[in-house]
Amino acid sequence: MYAAKRVTYAKKLLSTVGIDPARLEMYNLSAAMGPKWAEICTEFTERIRKLGHSPIWLAVCKQSGMKRSEEK
Amino acid sequence: MKSGSNLEKVLEGGYFTVTAEVGPPKGTSASVIQKKGELLKSCCDAMNVTDNQTAIVRMSSLSGCVILKQIGLDPVMQMVVRDRNRIAIQSDILGAIALGIRNVLCLSGDSQRFGNHPTAKGVYDIDSIQLVQTLKTMRDGKKFLCGEAISGEVPLFIGAVENPYADPFEYRVKRLAKKVKAGADFIQSQAVFDVVKFIKWMEMVRDQGLDKQVHILAGVIPIKSVGMARYMRDNVSGVSVPDEIVTRLEDAKNAKEEGVKITLEIIEQLKEIDGIHGIHIMAVAWEDIVPVIAERAGLLPRPIL
Amino acid sequence: MIVGKQKPFEEIWDMIKNFKKVLVFGCNTCVAICHAGGGKEAEILASMLRMKAYQEGVEMEVKHAAIERHCEPEFFDPVMEDVKTNDVVLSTACGVGVNFLAERIGDIPVFPGINTQFFGAVPKAGVFVELCAGCGNCVLHLTGGICPVARCAKSLMNGPCGGTNNGKCEISQDVDCAWYLILERMTKLGTLEKLSEIKPPRDWSTGIYGGPRRIVLEHIADVEAQEEKKES
Repeated sequence: MYAAKRVTYAKKLLSTVGIDPARLEMYNLSAAMGPKWAEICTEFTERIRKLGHSPIWLAVCKQSGMKRSEEK
Repeated sequence: MKSGSNLEKVLEGGYFTVTAEVGPPKGTSASVIQKKGELLKSCCDAMNVTDNQTAIVRMSSLSGCVILKQIGLDPVMQMVVRDRNRIAIQSDILGAIALGIRNVLCLSGDSQRFGNHPTAKGVYDIDSIQLVQTLKTMRDGKKFLCGEAISGEVPLFIGAVENPYADPFEYRVKRLAKKVKAGADFIQSQAVFDVVKFIKWMEMVRDQGLDKQVHILAGVIPIKSVGMARYMRDNVSGVSVPDEIVTRLEDAKNAKEEGVKITLEIIEQLKEIDGIHGIHIMAVAWEDIVPVIAERAGLLPRPIL
Repeated sequence: MIVGKQKPFEEIWDMIKNFKKVLVFGCNTCVAICHAGGGKEAEILASMLRMKAYQEGVEMEVKHAAIERHCEPEFFDPVMEDVKTNDVVLSTACGVGVNFLAERIGDIPVFPGINTQFFGAVPKAGVFVELCAGCGNCVLHLTGGICPVARCAKSLMNGPCGGTNNGKCEISQDVDCAWYLILERMTKLGTLEKLSEIKPPRDWSTGIYGGPRRIVLEHIADVEAQEEKKES
């Protein structure tokens, strides 16, 4: 499956620029799998929350002088 | 006589010839070569000096040959086409002859990738067969490749190598024929371990009448350990070591003694092959075993001509 | 086609990190086919450089663009003004493109984003193999269409050497012995006997080792010169 290979490649590119490849993920499911979709969304959101702000976001904030308390 | 070298005299005289090999040092000491030369002096008719073998930088073959000449030996200068273009090659040949070297062995050379300078540019301006042809043109035509005349005589005894075990097997004899056509006077083969296959190859050689046109010396490598046998079997391109030999060394109480026994058995069989005019002993890192082998194989004393 | 591979990202970053306005400039012909430097790859690379710049706290504007080819002036002309607004151009075209752009861009540096490697073909998707060395003295009619210059590690004319190993080259199990292939093919074509002729030493001066080469087609070059004269 080419999409899977491309996601693997994209993950590699992300880690080259210092971004945790776990921030990108591919899941396989069909339109009928409603509950599964909800589960994945929750899981992934939780994963990202645990990983914290992306280094890009932090860098952009730093550059634009925004204080940490103002970050959403 | 094409060159008047001892090697040529012994081969033309119909004797079962013995040549040995000396690896120059990775340094500047002439005495390393002198010592090896003295050690092997009485058990061979001529001695090869390798040329940056496996693309590892060592003292040059030409200088090694001069050192051997100075102690009264008949050197065989090995020349690979990997490191020099036709200008440098022809130039080195003129110098070699001026310094008394008469035997030259032409080879392609292992890829520079195997050596200690893998980033070097491989030259390969001419290939080994073209090199044989070049030497013949210089000797018999008294001309450089460009057609200009060479002043003075060019006494050369021209050698080439052949690997009976490389594939395709059927083509190896055709390749030998090409080298003979190009002007090879003698051939040193890659090491023989699988004698059965070698005998088959020699049959094909004789069928083509090549044994009558060129002197063939069979290569022999004495193996001193199982590790060495395995390494050659798995890593050295062009060398074919049958599993039976590895097993014999594995099972032996004394690997060195078994290694010598195996070598002697091979030599006995080689003596019987029609068209084989001698052996070329390549005792890698075990030069002091050569006099032992030469003695036990009944090859001493060497003829003095 | 010309085949190359993008340089390692760290090497590229090192080249451009001190510049303020970077253009990643792709080419949509050869390097697009080998996915090294086409418009898409230029865009991805530009994006990665931006991400790196943010994280390093470096102020940098990174743009991307692509044109059909970097080897003929007509493709540069419409975009040259925009290109010149940058401090540096990171060209992801082949080496030809880098040279050609550097000649006409004035005093803006042009850096190579690609290591250009060889002339090759695509036997299957994602696989690129070298088949021609541009030696200028083609002997493919004598070797069954298989190039001994490009595909034999020693460029032998009277191969194979003693290092062939089960049809593979001594340098690697992944590399076919070109002479083994030549023998096979010429056997199939019934022309094996031709190989018993000894090929004499080659003329290498027609290749790169003879110095940079140039071809001028008189019937075309002259016409252009005449038209330029008429216009002036």
